[in-house]
Amino acid sequence: MSNALLARLRDEYGAVRDALPDSVIGGERRLEAIEALCAQGLPTTREENWRYANLRVLERARFSPCASPAGMADLPAPLAGFTRFVFLDGVLAMGEPVQHAGLGVRSLRSGAQGPAPSMPQRIPALPEARLALLNEAFATDGAAIRVKREAAVPQIELLFIACAPAQAGASYPRVQLSIEAGARLTLVERHLSAGDAASLVNGALRVDLAEGARLDHYRLQQTSTRTAWFDTVEATLAQDARYSLIAVSPGALAARSTVHIRLAGPGAEVALSAAALGDRQQSLDTYVLSEHLAPRTRTEQIFRGIASGRARVAFNGKIAVRESARGTDSRQSLRGLLAGPEAEIDVRPQLEIYTDEVRCSHGATAGKLDENMLFYLLSRGLEPEVAQRLLKWAFLEDVVSRIELPALRRRIEHELAGQMSELASLKELLR
Amino acid sequence: MLKIDNLHVTVEGKEILKGLTLEVPAGEVHAIMGPNGSGKSTLAHVLAGRPGYEITGGTVTFQGRDLLSLPPEERAREGMFLGFQYPVEIPGVNNVYLLKAAVNAARKHRGLPEVDAFEFLTLVREKMRLMRMEESMLSRGVNEGFSGGEKKRNEVLQMLVLEPCLAVLDETDSGLDIDALKVVANGVNTLRAPQRSLVLVTHYQRLLDYIVPDRVHVLVKGRIVQSGDKTLALELERRGYDWLIGEAA
Repeated sequence: MSNALLARLRDEYGAVRDALPDSVIGGERRLEAIEALCAQGLPTTREENWRYANLRVLERARFSPCASPAGMADLPAPLAGFTRFVFLDGVLAMGEPVQHAGLGVRSLRSGAQGPAPSMPQRIPALPEARLALLNEAFATDGAAIRVKREAAVPQIELLFIACAPAQAGASYPRVQLSIEAGARLTLVERHLSAGDAASLVNGALRVDLAEGARLDHYRLQQTSTRTAWFDTVEATLAQDARYSLIAVSPGALAARSTVHIRLAGPGAEVALSAAALGDRQQSLDTYVLSEHLAPRTRTEQIFRGIASGRARVAFNGKIAVRESARGTDSRQSLRGLLAGPEAEIDVRPQLEIYTDEVRCSHGATAGKLDENMLFYLLSRGLEPEVAQRLLKWAFLEDVVSRIELPALRRRIEHELAGQMSELASLKELLR
Repeated sequence: MLKIDNLHVTVEGKEILKGLTLEVPAGEVHAIMGPNGSGKSTLAHVLAGRPGYEITGGTVTFQGRDLLSLPPEERAREGMFLGFQYPVEIPGVNNVYLLKAAVNAARKHRGLPEVDAFEFLTLVREKMRLMRMEESMLSRGVNEGFSGGEKKRNEVLQMLVLEPCLAVLDETDSGLDIDALKVVANGVNTLRAPQRSLVLVTHYQRLLDYIVPDRVHVLVKGRIVQSGDKTLALELERRGYDWLIGEAA
């Protein structure tokens, strides 16, 4: 990491600091974030857990936030039953604040709606999660969501649309989510682009699940294939909290997602299922750390990645079991599919165990389409291209089939399957 | 329907079929029997176009066309069907989706519109009843978690739905108990028709009690060494293959 780049980062921060909204993040905290980031330097591919990410874009990035765009982008059809909030370049553009007994949703920027939500304490930044500091320094808005226990489970859709080209500055989507004891939330989070904008996005998502809370979280990264998309998720789970995260990522030119989950209370559980589809020059990298800090905590990680063309798809899944986490149960199933002679797949399970009495199983494979399956489909008259697409589709089903919202699952199936849309209609006919 | 002339096939440098000649006229059922390693499955796979087999000599004509010049999917669309000895499991690809895609591929090839979804399901359900298959198997992955017998039934179900001109069934009887064998044989028999030919590849005579062949051929060391009517199968059951292996040497 060159000092010149860090100097430029400081300069850019210095130039815009007074214009950054205090209501989103206080000035002191922003400065701390910049200092902490500069002390560590920006990530480089020389670091083990960053080596598969495409970080070249950071070297020529303009870090200061782009101006919020006027007008509205084209939006996908709404999901029935979901309350929608739209953020353009990280700034709330559509969606009325919600404030009632069970649920509060508001923009961080609009200070007018009562006291600002308390800023979650900073988790000592892992080297892998340090781009969250960049977000903290520059964020111009964000969603603050607080859920209390209520009979009905709220359903929220957050749409983040990247509009500005990277030369005009970066966008910093930000979500602070807190689910109180026994409460539950279904969250759909989609990242899109306006047209084929070549944007730079660096998002940060904080999740705090109190005792017995539950979050069903669906993340779709569908930005344009010219976008550089960085993202850090930091989640802390208290006793018996459950976090289900399903992420589907077919978008971006260069994407890197870091997910750090802290299982801090006994009996807490996380199930993470991720699918990534890269084609052409795409580089899609995911790093997930499940940190088991308390007894009887559970992790399940499933990854299915397909690399076609000259794409590189990587998943690095680490399970760390601390001394205090007896009775941990973790399972990993990581599989990559190479669908092009110049494509690259890197799947890597890592285990770090500091206590006894744990059950940790993992499987990781990377391979090509199964020749026997392919021949079977051809022998039934299917076009080679259709047969290949069908097998790729089948490969992703392990993740997609876990989407419990039929409308969302169908939409994703349609978008992923292209010509195979009759699949969904036929399934319905059978019910 | 099918004419194989002096076919030579090599797998990984080893010659497996050494001048095989066989003709199956339309409307007939032929059984190909033979000891392990005689080349029966190789023949079935070569006919379906599986990669990995090198044709070093001979010709195969299917309905007047040079079969060996066609890619596997085109052979299927022209009406050729292979019932696999070991049907592969394809989790995530729905059975009914594959059936429909296969039917539509053949229809498109013949210039017909896609099959109507309701009519199609009605047809599939009817064939499933014939094969004594649970309807829930339709929405499962292709052969996923199926028992050996269920996989074989599923092969025959596909055949019944696709209605091929020529079906080659590679040891469709292996691994079946007697009740399942009857169901499978019954399914196959419903497909017998004057314009359709069947080739049954099998080790044992038992299947031929239920699907009575017009001709029986014995394949030994890559060649047909003996042909006859259905009584040849009974003779093989009694005498084994040794007397023919001697002749082939």
